[in-house]
Amino acid sequence: MSGASLKLGCVHVHYCFQKCIFIAVSASGATKDSLPGAYPKTPEERAAAAKKYNLRVEDYEPYPDNGEGFGDYPKLQDRSQHERDPWYKWDHPDLRRNWGEPMHWNFDMYLRTRVDTSPSPVPWSTMWKQLFGFVGFMLFMFYMGEKFPSYQPIAPKQYPYNNLYLEKGGDPAKAPEEVKNYEI
Amino acid sequence: MHSTALFLPSCMMIIFLILLYPVLTTFNPNPLHPDWALTKTKTAIKLAFFTSLIPLFLLFDQGAEAIVTTWSWTNTMTFDISINFKFDSYSCIFTPVALYVTWSILEFASWYMHSDPQMNRFFKYLLIFLIAMIILVTANNMFQLFIGWEGVGIMSFLLIGWWYGRTDANTAALQAVLYNRIGDIGLILMMTWTATHLNSWDLQQMFILSNNYDLTLPLLGLILAATGKSAQFSLHPWLPSAMEGPTPVSALLHSSTMVVAGIFLLIRLNPMLENNKIALTTCLCLGALTTLFTAICALTQNDIKKIVAFSTSSQLGLMMVTIGLNQPQLAFLHICTHAFFKAMLFLCSGSIIHSLNDEQDIRKMGGMHHLTPFTSSCLTIGSLALTGTPFLAGFFSKDAIIEALNTSYLNAWALTLTLIATSFTAAYSLRIVFFVSMNHPRFNPLPPINENNPSVINPIKRLALGSIIAGFIITLNILPLNTPPMTMPTTLKLAALIVTILGLFTALELASLSSKQFKQTPNPNPHHFSNMLGFFPHIMHRLTPQANLTLGQAIATQTIDQAWLEKSGPKAIYSLSLRPITTTSNIQQGMIKTYLSLFFLTTLITLTILMF
Repeated sequence: MSGASLKLGCVHVHYCFQKCIFIAVSASGATKDSLPGAYPKTPEERAAAAKKYNLRVEDYEPYPDNGEGFGDYPKLQDRSQHERDPWYKWDHPDLRRNWGEPMHWNFDMYLRTRVDTSPSPVPWSTMWKQLFGFVGFMLFMFYMGEKFPSYQPIAPKQYPYNNLYLEKGGDPAKAPEEVKNYEI
Repeated sequence: MHSTALFLPSCMMIIFLILLYPVLTTFNPNPLHPDWALTKTKTAIKLAFFTSLIPLFLLFDQGAEAIVTTWSWTNTMTFDISINFKFDSYSCIFTPVALYVTWSILEFASWYMHSDPQMNRFFKYLLIFLIAMIILVTANNMFQLFIGWEGVGIMSFLLIGWWYGRTDANTAALQAVLYNRIGDIGLILMMTWTATHLNSWDLQQMFILSNNYDLTLPLLGLILAATGKSAQFSLHPWLPSAMEGPTPVSALLHSSTMVVAGIFLLIRLNPMLENNKIALTTCLCLGALTTLFTAICALTQNDIKKIVAFSTSSQLGLMMVTIGLNQPQLAFLHICTHAFFKAMLFLCSGSIIHSLNDEQDIRKMGGMHHLTPFTSSCLTIGSLALTGTPFLAGFFSKDAIIEALNTSYLNAWALTLTLIATSFTAAYSLRIVFFVSMNHPRFNPLPPINENNPSVINPIKRLALGSIIAGFIITLNILPLNTPPMTMPTTLKLAALIVTILGLFTALELASLSSKQFKQTPNPNPHHFSNMLGFFPHIMHRLTPQANLTLGQAIATQTIDQAWLEKSGPKAIYSLSLRPITTTSNIQQGMIKTYLSLFFLTTLITLTILMF
């Protein structure tokens, strides 16, 4: 077993003198006990799972057992790291997290460079309605603007000499009609 | 050979070499001279600017343009890509403008960033950006343009995230890259369509062959590319977020050069665009929506850089409108004049921010006219140029655009929106000047606020000069492609001026109301809409990533397994067959003797019938 190392563990024995025991523990990876397990059915299993995840038994709430494969992983609040106090002295200040804290199932979504769930000053439904109302109104008005475009007043083009009667294929034998392109 | 034909391309190629040389000097392992930024980089840009004036004068005097093909990159039997430069009026005018603005910004940055430990690297990044930008504007084929396009995108990412210890800067840099990438989908779509249908990425061949095709799809791809790069509505939030970068970055990339790359692309490819009504209408409507929406957002911002960023976005919308009117030259003119006064606005903001100890909130500024008179005067000049004050730089482009708008056959709502946005421009420009320069200081007296450093004053002076005369000089010397409207009613002629003055007076009136209260409880809804940027970032930056990420993880880890193993595979067989099995076994009543005798009887009868 590579990476095996000796860890020194001191046990305080009941008769008030310390007895040191050598414990051999692998220094690579998580132990089998700390990995997530099956959905906890009995109160003892719940307590053990809560301890494993560093939660209080009252706070521990697993995901519902509906076949989605969550096991005993705790269901933490869906709040992102943006909402945590920026001035508190976290162990990892950039992640706003303390050592040993249970990680959210979607922790990589709740980073400070991803989704922000902080409360907005304006309720979500108001925001949604106003934005899509604005865009919908604009699209509708653009449609109306296409139907009723704006342009400067124009008239058909005027040519000299009977509006180019001969050039436009008029009959040379017939007398062309009088064309008046001006008004005095 | 005619000397003009030699001079023009030679000078432009020399510019590339002049700009590349400082970058190449950084490729040795020895640490750079501490003065490298000033001595090598700024000098190179200055030299390149003066070199670029020669092609400019040749263009103005003789109308000379050149296309230079140098090295063959790939040649198949049917498809050629070579290094191909087009030194036409657009690139020959844009290059000196960009170099002039960059020169001023670099000189300013030598003061702004002088306490930064990595100043040499900062200047190197700016230089690489500039080289990529010039590659973009001088490209004669789509491949080279794409190289420049991606180059400016990457340098934008690196420069926005310059202070990478700050999470907000990293988020902003990521935002810029992602939004630009969405736009790149459109550009690549257009490139593939062109490669397969027109069999070339050379602009000349594309233009000649494209007359026979329905170009709607590639043009919509192009418009998507411009939407991403030039921050049009729906792909715009990255531009105000990009203000996380240092002020020289905002001045160079996100006002003058990089963001106009999308518009420049549409200008370059205008021959393909001009016959397609759908594409032109899309440009027009998108530009009008952008210009109004971002002007609305600019009205209530409190960070001086954000106001200027939204102002940039609004002007980019105006350029898009001009493209929609089929006036690429006017759009290009606006690009050039806008570069001057927008860069100056950013430099003045940077100077004020640094003087006030990195304070960016305009509610905590005030009275700067007494403390930094030159800077605040140039701020005013820049704002006047922005609003299109007659005979400053912005007037020649902006007024011409609005005249063209008023006299064209176009969507009436687009016209209305653009005019409203023009009046909003005056309003938020006054807001900046009112809060920053006028009245009394709203901050504690700080150690010396002065304008004694020539590295700050000279760039701003140069850009102020440009803001005043550039529009005039360029308009005098270029020939229009389309006949401009020669006659129009007086109201239409003065329309731009009237709406601007209206906006100015409304803003002045509102400013005087800031010490009075008419209503007991204000109605915050319009203010919220404007201040929270139309709620667009809130909704889009939360909904889309959350939906994509949760859906992605759920599908990949749970749903697939659940679907294949439980709902349609082994467990499904189990659960489906459970009912019939239970029913069948419950029907069984254990009467074995009866079942056996029935079985034998049935077998005997069958055999008897078979035999007979």
